[in-house]
Amino acid sequence: MNSEFRSADDRPLQRVVILGGGTAGWMAAAALIRLLPHACTVRLIESAEIGIVGVGEATLPHLRTFVEMLDLDEADFMRATHATYKLGIEFRDFGRIGDRYLHPFGSFGTELNGVHFHHYWLRMRAEGRADDLFGYSIANVMAAGNRFSPPAVDTNSPLSTYSYAYQFDATLFGPYLREYCLARGAERTEGKVVGVDRDPESGDVTALQLENGERVPGDLFVDCSGFAGLLIGRTFDSPWEDWSPWLPCDRAVALPCTSPPGPIEPFTRATAMAAGWRWRIPLQHRVGNGYVYSSAHLSDDAAAEAIVAAIEGEPMADPRLLRFRAGRRRESWVANVVSLGLASGFLEPLESTSIYLTQAAVMRLIELFPQGRIRDSDRAEFNRLVDFEYDRVRDFLILHYHATERDDSDFWNHVRTMEVPDSLAEKIELFRRAGRIQKYSEGLFFEPSWLAVYIGQNLIPDGWDQRADALDATRLGKAMDKLRDQIANAVERMPEHKALVRGSGMSGEIPR
Amino acid sequence: MSRDERAIRSLCVVGGGVVGFSAALAFARALPSVEVKLICTPTDPAALADRIGIGLTAIHRFHAAIGVDELELVGGRVALHHLGTIFEGWSADREPWAHVFGEYGLAAAGVPFHQIWAKLRRANKGQSFDHYAAAARLAVADKFVHPEEDSRSPLSTFLYGLRLDPAAYRAMLVERAGKLGIEIVDGAMAGVERRQDGKIASVRLVDDRAFEADLFLDCGGPAAPLRSLLDDEFEDWGAYLPSNRFSLGAARPSAAALPADRVGAVPEGWWWRSALPDHLATGMSWHSDATNEQAVMDRLDQLLQVDSAELLTIRPGRRLEPWKHNVLALGDSAVVSDPLYGPGLHLAQSAILRALELLPGRDCHPLELREYNRRTAQETARVRDFQALHYLRSGRREGEFWNSASNRSVSDSLSHSLDQYETRGRLPFYEEESFEPESWLAVLGGLSVLPHRTDPASDRIDPEEALRAMTELSARLASLPARLPTYPDYLRRIRDRPR
Repeated sequence: MNSEFRSADDRPLQRVVILGGGTAGWMAAAALIRLLPHACTVRLIESAEIGIVGVGEATLPHLRTFVEMLDLDEADFMRATHATYKLGIEFRDFGRIGDRYLHPFGSFGTELNGVHFHHYWLRMRAEGRADDLFGYSIANVMAAGNRFSPPAVDTNSPLSTYSYAYQFDATLFGPYLREYCLARGAERTEGKVVGVDRDPESGDVTALQLENGERVPGDLFVDCSGFAGLLIGRTFDSPWEDWSPWLPCDRAVALPCTSPPGPIEPFTRATAMAAGWRWRIPLQHRVGNGYVYSSAHLSDDAAAEAIVAAIEGEPMADPRLLRFRAGRRRESWVANVVSLGLASGFLEPLESTSIYLTQAAVMRLIELFPQGRIRDSDRAEFNRLVDFEYDRVRDFLILHYHATERDDSDFWNHVRTMEVPDSLAEKIELFRRAGRIQKYSEGLFFEPSWLAVYIGQNLIPDGWDQRADALDATRLGKAMDKLRDQIANAVERMPEHKALVRGSGMSGEIPR
Repeated sequence: MSRDERAIRSLCVVGGGVVGFSAALAFARALPSVEVKLICTPTDPAALADRIGIGLTAIHRFHAAIGVDELELVGGRVALHHLGTIFEGWSADREPWAHVFGEYGLAAAGVPFHQIWAKLRRANKGQSFDHYAAAARLAVADKFVHPEEDSRSPLSTFLYGLRLDPAAYRAMLVERAGKLGIEIVDGAMAGVERRQDGKIASVRLVDDRAFEADLFLDCGGPAAPLRSLLDDEFEDWGAYLPSNRFSLGAARPSAAALPADRVGAVPEGWWWRSALPDHLATGMSWHSDATNEQAVMDRLDQLLQVDSAELLTIRPGRRLEPWKHNVLALGDSAVVSDPLYGPGLHLAQSAILRALELLPGRDCHPLELREYNRRTAQETARVRDFQALHYLRSGRREGEFWNSASNRSVSDSLSHSLDQYETRGRLPFYEEESFEPESWLAVLGGLSVLPHRTDPASDRIDPEEALRAMTELSARLASLPARLPTYPDYLRRIRDRPR
């Protein structure tokens, strides 16, 4: 065989050492084991003493790609993580108290003559002839009726215009992936890291010292140690970019409860509170709840009281406090250390982005996986792509706080009146003028997502695409009515979400 | 602002070439209530977007927007199909290679084909990249058929553009414009009246007639007769691209119409030949510092038997803000492209659709224009990068032109793409690409630019098995042309079809 084909055996294997056995650590391990078995060995160090945060009970549709990439059986995965389907996120009381809207995983209406549907809707609204925009989103109508059915494959069908994600028990996802990894040759080491060996010349990490005296050598170290950032922060001191001026929430108190009787909603709910917001994530066997708040505006005790008062079922634990700060590392990859998950940055779970951001970074690491010596340009490329994702999500989150009329608390007064980043101010103004949304093809949150939050939080543009005026109003009205009725009829025929999850073998044993 | 205050009511297009009429038609069709006038100034000879009728694959979208049917164009002897370009002498080993629109090879187990191919090529195995593209096999056999719908057929794997006879195309657009009620005014521009806020109030002709409008489109060629009145900020691309002269000509067809363009590298520069329904369009590109004109003319005579040719001076680059105040520059007044692939018309028509998508209010607020200018800048920069790649990595060294071509500055974005490709076969994503990743790979493959190392993910593929599958695919694609009609026969069938 030609020497160029030093496949498997003769290309030197990179020894990847992952520090931390939370969701991020096991996601990284699973993807590496699956996609680069010929290029690396994977060893993960975790300590039973150090708990995991277990954030990210709610996910985005991208996780399905990850599940497929690992070749997992969806029903099995859902059973193991007590997962339910998720069609979007419902926001309550954000624009004004009493408001509610869904940020659906799907589009609004259909494009007509190359013009986005919402421009026709804006025009008809101005003429007093349009219904609620959200009635033209199939995912929204499904969510409102607590129904679920997987999207159609045929792209001509209106039933192909939505997507879905999962709501699951994040503390079960890591262990599920751990089994996957161990069955495929990953090595797991129980232990606590107490020291770091570094090459005196390059500064690269050469090994991690464990409490029991063992040294774990490696070529590439993946820091998934959570907020602590043991390598990226403590060893390398990669500067932190602080976003708390725009995203002042810095604590959460979590409190799972039993499922109340009635339907299991195929969506996550975020309800605005006096000093932040509260999540509600219905799983198969329980409901995850938590209050994300700003400690400058609310005491921990008051927050715990508020969440106890708000839950609908029996509490299943004591309220658990989490501290964090919004921002990201200036550089997520330094020397031979790549940080993922909370070690690399944190954005509150308002739009369920935690697991997505980890997944995106893992896939970038695989795309840019070092072959021998790590190149500066690959590190720079990785950091550029990670920044790009974080910055986009940051602006989107700030919008939820800023686009409000609420003046009922100091917190809301602050976020309503604060200066927002220029990049966001420009996006808002562009939308306000004529419903335009900056166009990108890469990254997270495209036009329908921005549209949902703008309209859902009462930011109605002054104008619209002038081409939308070309159609006859009566014909347009009829076409819109027809679309709305089609959606309503299609959704009526779909199964009820709870029955679907319970009845199709994806329901897990209910632990108590 | 109410709708009535916001809406643009009137539009005045300056420039009577293909770009001007394309714009007038697209605007008039999308905005029936807007009054559209076109000042039919003579076409600037150096306005290549008006004079080279190459439509890349996106032209079908533009034609759908203006209601023009491909059958009509091909049947009416306005257009021929366009599979891509065959390059001759444009690589280190001088082997010809084809850049076609569409897919190359087949991915295996989630590993992109080019990774598998590059790995084999580095071991001197397998064939050149274009052996694995159906359209390339058709192009070298001078055949064309429309792509098939059935995704299992190898004939479903490609796209095509159109090559338009600029004069016939323009005539068809003029006729359409008349039918749509667009007012066409013959005349030459004398000057403009400005408003206090810097906008243009009206355009004055030499016969003293003046035309007011809310929005003016400058389709007047590289001199940008309207837009240049607002400012002259221009980004010169001379550092990146090696040509400043182009000889545009016409020749009698020497043989049957061919479905792909030919481009050839010669010591003086490069030549281009493109089949149109009734003649050949020809070109020769060089730099006045590297080559003397007589040498070019001699070469042209020898190679192309050109009937007539015009010598044009070009200065590639882009206007920094193509849309400013109420003046939108389109075509060569916005961006002067290097002539390789003749991308000017594509960029102009793409810009027209983008302008409609982002049409601002009557006040042309800078914030609304910024989004148009941002996306347009991304698009033009990437076309420039794509062209620059051909020169930078031509593999040719003899002659001053090629020497200088391979030693030019490299833009950050191209350097980023090349670095990522050469180190691991990865193409970073850029927004607003006119040429798909497949096209970049086709050219990198054609130029024999191979990654130093392939992606580790490709180690999952067994090379012997991959080679077998590739040999089989190549043989299957090679056998395609024999069962297809000749291109002239295929054209005859289309033209004879009752319309």
